Amino acid sequence: MATTVIVRGDVSGLKNNDFEKLAVPLLDGLYNFACWLCGNPDEARDLVQETFLKALKGFGSFREGTNFRAWMFRILRNTFLTSKTGLERRNTTQQDEEGFEDSVVSIDTPELALVRRADTLLVQSAIASLSPVFKEVILLADIEEMKYQEIAEALDVPTGTVMSRLARARKQVREYIVNALGEKKVAGIRS
Amino acid sequence: MNCELREKVGLYVDGEMESAAQQAFAIHLQNCTECAATVMEQQELKKAVRLAGKRFHAPPELYAVVRKQIAPKPAIGHFWQWTTAAATFMLLFALAFIWYSRPAGSGVTVAELVDQHVTMLASANPVDVISSDMHTVKPWYQGKLPFTFTPPELAKDSPFTLLGGKLVYVHHAPGAELVYQVRQHKISVFIFQARDVRGEPSTGDQNFIVNGWQQNGLQFYMVTDAAKENTERLRALMEEANR
Repeated sequence: MATTVIVRGDVSGLKNNDFEKLAVPLLDGLYNFACWLCGNPDEARDLVQETFLKALKGFGSFREGTNFRAWMFRILRNTFLTSKTGLERRNTTQQDEEGFEDSVVSIDTPELALVRRADTLLVQSAIASLSPVFKEVILLADIEEMKYQEIAEALDVPTGTVMSRLARARKQVREYIVNALGEKKVAGIRS
Repeated sequence: MNCELREKVGLYVDGEMESAAQQAFAIHLQNCTECAATVMEQQELKKAVRLAGKRFHAPPELYAVVRKQIAPKPAIGHFWQWTTAAATFMLLFALAFIWYSRPAGSGVTVAELVDQHVTMLASANPVDVISSDMHTVKPWYQGKLPFTFTPPELAKDSPFTLLGGKLVYVHHAPGAELVYQVRQHKISVFIFQARDVRGEPSTGDQNFIVNGWQQNGLQFYMVTDAAKENTERLRALMEEANR
């Protein structure tokens, strides 16, 4: 996926005219991210619009060296978190974050087969089942194909947290798929 | 079956390793089936999430709305800002000047005044207040007009006789019409507030003399078919009385 990243040195002298050029290519990704967060297209649409307005307003204070894409996603996420839906989700779905060690998958060739068999709807259900902190990190890593550092900037967390959340999110998605396709099948394949 | 490098799988799959480390881990994968299998599963999972996760696409109308709300406003330089402001000010000033200096209520034409005069001549009741006494006619206008005026006190040997007065309207502005007689001719003297009706109408109709002047905020018009010297004389009396 093409990224819109402003590297150091490119941001000096940016004007509002440049904002459209930089921001509009991110709209589709932002909308997708917003839909996953909100679970509602109308709300996502409002969220995206508000994000663009806030970003445009703050574009004047945009600093050299800042990753523009991460900055946009960060605005969207912060806007979401302060929205009614965001507050509700935050209050109801906080989950324990486990260490990176615990989340590394074990070698299981049958599970690989199950992952391969998983259809799009099942994977979407698996993503939807994640709590916001895991959902957002896996979306940014695997759909937006952001680097850990970029995700860390977007989510305003340390890189280590990105890594542990990502590993945990993947583990949960894998478990969801495996459970959905049936432990019996897994057991059968194993035997 | 617990390779100590297994925890590096995520970094490898996500391309987060340094180039040298990436190459070294790739070599390790050739000899470690445990890590190789984990890498494959992680890659499959990543691919599945990428395909399934790209679920929602921004509708064209959202693009349109967003583009509209962030479209850069046309930049206007200081020079043009000042020029535009100055031009606007001058235009408003010119319009105001034209408005306040528009001639004779812009519609008080000879024809209108003559029409009023002729209507009076043709009417069975040419005046509303019938009196030759200016002390009767003047008070009659009290409460009917938002201004006051003074008809001249006519001497006994004056050729003019006050017949009375009536209320008239020109362009929604109220005014007085005093009717005088000189020999067999009648003279209408119209009086308006100068802010409502003003300006000198053109010199005269084919058959009537129309005379106009301003005095103390009042606009006077005189319409008659009497001789010009009579109008001049009555005008002098009116001007004297309202000084």
